[in-house]
Amino acid sequence: MEVIGIFILVISFVTLLAIGVPIAWSIGISSLITILISIDSLPAFTTIAQRMGTSLDSFTLLAIPFFVLAGQLMNRGGIAKRLINFAKNMMGSLPGGLAYVNVVAAMLFGAVAGSAMAAATAVGSILGPRMVDEGYDREFGAAVNITSSTTGLLIPPSNVLIIYSLASGGASIAALFLAGYIPGILTGLLLMAVAAIWAKKKGYPTGERVSLRALGASFIKAIPSLLLLIIVIGGIIAGIFTATEASAVAVLYTLILGFIYKELNIQELPSVFLEAVKTTAIVLLLIATSIAMSWVMSFENIPQSVSATLLGLSDNPIIILLMINFILLFVGTFMDMTPAVLIFTPIFLPIVQDMGIDPVHFGIIMILNLCIGLCTPPVGSVLFVGASVAKTTIEKLVWPLLPLFLAMIVALILVTLFPQLSLWLPGLFGF
Amino acid sequence: MRKSINKAVAYILVILMVTMLICVLWQVFTRYIMGEASTVTEELARFLMIWIGLLGGAYVAGANMHVAINLLPSRLDGCKKQILQTIINLTIIAFVFVVLIIGGSQLVHITYNLGQTSAALNIPLAYVYLVLPISGLLVCYYKISDLLTDSNNSESGLTKSHEVTE
Repeated sequence: MEVIGIFILVISFVTLLAIGVPIAWSIGISSLITILISIDSLPAFTTIAQRMGTSLDSFTLLAIPFFVLAGQLMNRGGIAKRLINFAKNMMGSLPGGLAYVNVVAAMLFGAVAGSAMAAATAVGSILGPRMVDEGYDREFGAAVNITSSTTGLLIPPSNVLIIYSLASGGASIAALFLAGYIPGILTGLLLMAVAAIWAKKKGYPTGERVSLRALGASFIKAIPSLLLLIIVIGGIIAGIFTATEASAVAVLYTLILGFIYKELNIQELPSVFLEAVKTTAIVLLLIATSIAMSWVMSFENIPQSVSATLLGLSDNPIIILLMINFILLFVGTFMDMTPAVLIFTPIFLPIVQDMGIDPVHFGIIMILNLCIGLCTPPVGSVLFVGASVAKTTIEKLVWPLLPLFLAMIVALILVTLFPQLSLWLPGLFGF
Repeated sequence: MRKSINKAVAYILVILMVTMLICVLWQVFTRYIMGEASTVTEELARFLMIWIGLLGGAYVAGANMHVAINLLPSRLDGCKKQILQTIINLTIIAFVFVVLIIGGSQLVHITYNLGQTSAALNIPLAYVYLVLPISGLLVCYYKISDLLTDSNNSESGLTKSHEVTE
């Protein structure tokens, strides 16, 4: 029975994806087809509709629209510009410095906004043209921008970590946020190492050294933006705010800052809100159909048979983790991050938990793994955004992306093998 | 027609988003200043998100902005592309029709008859679920109008490109 279910689910899903049906609908349609084997049509329609509606009925998920909105406001309200400027003054005087600037800016922006797409757009559109002016390879710049912007998904606040918390059935958001720092920074450092080697080989120019005074000035200008980090993350970790409350406060704070900087005006606010609604709705519809699929899978006992199969192959936790990583890398290339987290967490988490692996550690592995998928064709959303911001094509990006992928894979292996990279920091704060 | 519907839906979505933001900020305010978080705004914010997710999802479907794998459509041209696009749109219409419109209406009907109301606001849950059939109708409208313009375009020899933007 389960085998037929899995078969129908996978075949219908892959077919729909391949012919170009949007992912959110493909997930919904294949779930519907699968559940129709077991229950009558009218109850099936109603149940899927109900799952889609109730899946969004969650106070935790409310953080997503607000963090998206805060990210948009930061882009328009001058916060992104100030952070990038600060990163430039810090790192720009090194050989190939603009590449480091890009990575650091992406990490800083990720640390305040928590969206890879927003980071790729903001940092890429400001730094990309400058890199080309200074003689950098357009494609290399774009590749660095694309890969480094994914660090923002690990460095908190991060919407996908919130989604993982939901999918895992209650892993603490504060613990996940803390756990993301070291793996996120580690990935950034490895990407910088690749950029350094590349820049040296190509003889990229050294930017002019800025005076300590200018560095200090740009730091002071960045302080209000960096303060957001303390309010949001500090607030969540200290237990003052829930993630949702913190996200709403972040919106309020960025709004006020944007008006103080005089970069926002009332007239353009509705369009900023509408942009945020659109980005949010894309994610929310994916969540709605993914949760419906997850329910169909558990109804058909699919997680149990996957678990039995995996455990039949090995009972060594490291081997199991590597196998899961392998599957996720494959899944990540075809599936967006949100549905992948919502659909595969309920399948894999019970297996690894039985083997004594911490759900927080597993979450970080999963997100880092799926970050790689965001930069690969055919569905890498960050890849597409990064390529269009840099005005280049995906085909041309394949070669410069390769060494950077390798760096991300190394980061993934390290994070998988050494749980302390993820768990040390939350442990320090008593999680 | 489509333009004015788009404008109206966008207007509603922005209002829902602003209201949701105010609800959660009010929630934070009441929890700190008054010492007790308002359960009414918490519930209202959750319901607003259901509306934003589904109505917004329909709006985004109208703008062809849902993420898709565009490998096959981008390799085809002219008539073949048109046929594939028609198949995609028909598939979406079929799903939305049976799940959101039929299933959603059924859900509204059941919860209305059972008289289920929400815990804090005490409003019928049927109103919350009403967004399912409404969004379904909106997606169907968009996709049917896409089908019609596509067939008009192919008659006049023009192919409208459906670039799926990420």
